[in-house]
Amino acid sequence: MLIKIAWRNIWRNTSRSLTILIAIMIGLAAALMASAFSMGFVQQRFNNVIERFVSHIQIHNPDFVHDGEVTQYLTNPQEIMLKLQQNQTVKQAALRTKANGIIASAKVSSGVQITGIDPQAEQRLTDLKGWLIKGAYFEGVKRNPVYIGQELATKLKADVGSRLVLNFQNLDGEITAASFKVVGIFKTIDVAFDETTVFVQRTDINPLLGGEQLAHEIALLSDDFDQITKLKQQLQQQFPELEVRSWEKLSQELVLMQEMTSQSLIFLVFIILLGLGFGILNTMLMSVFERTRELGMLMAVGMNKKRVFLMIMFETVLLSFTGAAAGMLLGFGLISWLGRQGINLAGVAGDSLAIYGYGNMIYPYLETPFYLQTAFLVLLIALLSALYPAFKALQLVPAEAVRKE
Amino acid sequence: MAVIETIGLSKIYNETIVPVKALNEVNLAFEQGEFTSIVGPSGSGKTTLLNMLGGLDKPSSGSILINQTDITKLKERQLIDYRLRHIGFVFQSYNLIPVLTAVENVSFIMLLQKQPRKAIDQRAREILEQVGLGDRLNARPAQLSGGQQQRVAVARALASRPDFVLADEPTANLDTQSAFNLLDIMEKLNRDENITLIFSTHDQRVIERARRVITLVDGAVASDENHGS
Ligand SMILES: Nc1ncnc2c1ncn2[C@@H]1O[C@H](COP(=O)(O)OP(=O)(O)OP(=O)(O)O)[C@@H](O)[C@H]1O
Ligand SMILES: [Mg+2]
Repeated sequence: MLIKIAWRNIWRNTSRSLTILIAIMIGLAAALMASAFSMGFVQQRFNNVIERFVSHIQIHNPDFVHDGEVTQYLTNPQEIMLKLQQNQTVKQAALRTKANGIIASAKVSSGVQITGIDPQAEQRLTDLKGWLIKGAYFEGVKRNPVYIGQELATKLKADVGSRLVLNFQNLDGEITAASFKVVGIFKTIDVAFDETTVFVQRTDINPLLGGEQLAHEIALLSDDFDQITKLKQQLQQQFPELEVRSWEKLSQELVLMQEMTSQSLIFLVFIILLGLGFGILNTMLMSVFERTRELGMLMAVGMNKKRVFLMIMFETVLLSFTGAAAGMLLGFGLISWLGRQGINLAGVAGDSLAIYGYGNMIYPYLETPFYLQTAFLVLLIALLSALYPAFKALQLVPAEAVRKE
Repeated sequence: MAVIETIGLSKIYNETIVPVKALNEVNLAFEQGEFTSIVGPSGSGKTTLLNMLGGLDKPSSGSILINQTDITKLKERQLIDYRLRHIGFVFQSYNLIPVLTAVENVSFIMLLQKQPRKAIDQRAREILEQVGLGDRLNARPAQLSGGQQQRVAVARALASRPDFVLADEPTANLDTQSAFNLLDIMEKLNRDENITLIFSTHDQRVIERARRVITLVDGAVASDENHGS
């Protein structure tokens, strides 16, 4: 009964209620949209990193994770690969050799991380080939091809076909130098990555380092994104002496970033709702003052304070939730649509986004908990903004309220 | 035995600033089933008296016994509940909840009293028929004339069969025909349902309808006449 009265009361002053409803709707939809955009931004970076090089799961010698020394290699990489190939959940796996070194052209040198890969296996694992902008992906250069980033190429004033010298320490601790020829130039969206990472063939770098089967890293893809955590645990049990890390661990920084973004966004939503809360408060206060006589009459004929209070609370919550539901639907619709279409920022931002490791296409998205948190905040704000008007209603003295002409 | 009895009832407004003596040592008793009008010039204390009897305001001194309960000693919360269960009210205007239909308005008090649904529905229809609105059950107040609205208010006040009904100038906003009509209905219900009814008015047209007429002047009882019938 109270809820029925409350609901009908909302629609007594249609234009006033509609105004606040639309304000809540637009405010909330905009807040959700902005949040989804930011989350999309972070998610995009996420995908890039995974696609580019992290993959889903990586396996290392635990010491290598710590120090990254060339001597901290995997002891029996072939055996591990064999076991991985038998695992149903593992889609692809590839070995990588890693060494820190210096790359030098005739004039300039630069510190780099040298990554030895099996180009064919790697291609199935990451999008390394897809980033190619010039030359070829390990084709056409027979001896010692090197695949470098555009940023590094510019720095070294190198081009496809240029000869570069790689200096690094071999397994015996001796400094080794070898000449490589640029086979291709790639460009990811992360400028820093493009400047500090070079790719060579494992078959070239391993003999130079002093071990034909040498590998420091096994990167692998699961065939089901949702099974990664389970697969990780399973592999860790299978290889207790190795360190198995999933992409979450590998890109901890990104997970942190995602969480922080989500939290600061919910705070943004809270601030917007707080503003809307004052609008709600004002609307309800007006509605209470307008109904002084009616509320006085209700109390005179025996409606107790609890019920009067509840009625005003119901009205506020119903009003807020109607607006919030509309806003969330609108926001959800927009986000789903733009999430499929994507937003192209190339026109606005040009190349500047790449410097920070972002691409131009943003696919807004929000996770369900975010919507739930928002709904909870709406309830909280609605209850808070209902308190004052409801309290005001209680202060009415029925004898005086009914006396007013 | 009296349903209502006032003993030395006084009310002084603004006791600290500019005291206004609205009621002065009023001693009255109302018997079960009486139909009484309180008359007197504007400012004579009619509304004040009815508000005291209805427990809407506290007297400055004196006591009000309703079925031997001194309601001046009740706490605010108990008073609200007392009003809900024992007293029916009809005001000059703004009696009804605008968003509810006639039948819902009449049911409202009984719903607050937590009476069974079925009984409420039946009683609400029955009493609306008695006030001649059997065909307007689902009309909203805005769709009813002033007289019809007051009839719904009377129906609501009597629907829950309170100990007595207080009506403060129920006809003040009505034209002569509607006023007579409302009084007829009040009189009939008073007789049929044997519910004690007290209404105030300064409207000469309707005073005679009451069997007992109490005249207030400056907050004191100037005369108390029984017309009989
Ligand atoms: N809340 C109040 N504060 C101060 N004085 C009041 C208050 N209510 C009523 N009074 C005064 O008390 C006296 C009695 O008022 P009351 O309203 O009871 O008269 P009434 O007979 O109902 O008048 P009317 O016929 O105009 O309705 C008047 O002098 C009025 O001004
Ligand atoms: Mg009056």
